[in-house]
Amino acid sequence: MKKISILSVVVACLLACQLANYVPPVTAQMAAASKGQHVDLVTLREGRRLLVHRCIECHTLPPLWHYAVEDWPNIVNGMSHRASLKPAERDAIVAYISAARSTAQ
Amino acid sequence: MKLALSLGILVATILPTVSCFGGARHFTYLYEAPTSAPGSVELENWVTWQRGSNPARFDQVDFRHELEIGITNRFQASIYLADWFYENDPSHSGFAYSDSAIELIYNLSNPVIDPVGLSIYEEINVGRQHLELESKLIAQKNFGPLILDYNLTLEAEWEEQGLQERQGELQQAFGASYEISPRISVGLEFLHEFVFPDWRDKEKIRNVFVGPNVAFRHENWFVTITALAQATDTRDEADFKVRTIFGFGF
Repeated sequence: MKKISILSVVVACLLACQLANYVPPVTAQMAAASKGQHVDLVTLREGRRLLVHRCIECHTLPPLWHYAVEDWPNIVNGMSHRASLKPAERDAIVAYISAARSTAQ
Repeated sequence: MKLALSLGILVATILPTVSCFGGARHFTYLYEAPTSAPGSVELENWVTWQRGSNPARFDQVDFRHELEIGITNRFQASIYLADWFYENDPSHSGFAYSDSAIELIYNLSNPVIDPVGLSIYEEINVGRQHLELESKLIAQKNFGPLILDYNLTLEAEWEEQGLQERQGELQQAFGASYEISPRISVGLEFLHEFVFPDWRDKEKIRNVFVGPNVAFRHENWFVTITALAQATDTRDEADFKVRTIFGFGF
């Protein structure tokens, strides 16, 4: 019984960490929310792919709401050289984060 | 040795034309599932100090200089320019060149968005009277700031005159690393080795090592240190070992 309780607590902690780390799949709703910024579904998908592949080469992903929307361009820009990101790739990541946050709100 | 020197010259010629960072390590005895960004180049320097006392006291310091290159979004290659070591035991002491190697890693899935991040690894290691093949399955899952990592490794080694002496090793390694800030992670590494001299399990050699690690990363460099102590009592194995990997992008 004690072992099951410990296991349950560990699984709950891991799930909580996983939820905090949620990187939502791209939806049509996200693209619609980003329409004013001329961002399409393909760009948002590329932004998500780059976020989950390139950024974790050095560090784990912070929750997307951890920083203000206006802070993300500088954060991504500051690490773009290290992550070998071209300007279009950097913009795609920022667009994805912005769209994911706007639809989550 | 000539090959290692030629590779060194080639690398020194190519490096000024590229400028990227391959990524930071959270572990030193385990590999992680993500591969380097395409076009990135990174030099990693490994130093591993081992001390043993069973049956006689010995010290060994191993050095490795690894050039890691991102080829595609899912594929990376590395060249071990030269593995060399210093050893000191009651019978002798001194430096020696060991081998050079090529390592290939292919990523199959992502540790953040997929149920588990998987990569496969292959290494071919060639030295004077030494040939080694190493295959690895790397499994990783990121839970927010926590990284859980597992490596299953199979090694086949041929040594001595005519490569007549052969040995196999199966190793499983588990690691956990928690990111306490974007620059610093702390964690634990656990190794469980099954050694098969002459590809037989007559001697039932089992080694277990466990210990903490710490990783620091900044700009285009990182340093990761792991200290492991032996939890078994195997003859001719190190009582403890400390590995440091210092990597930087150009």
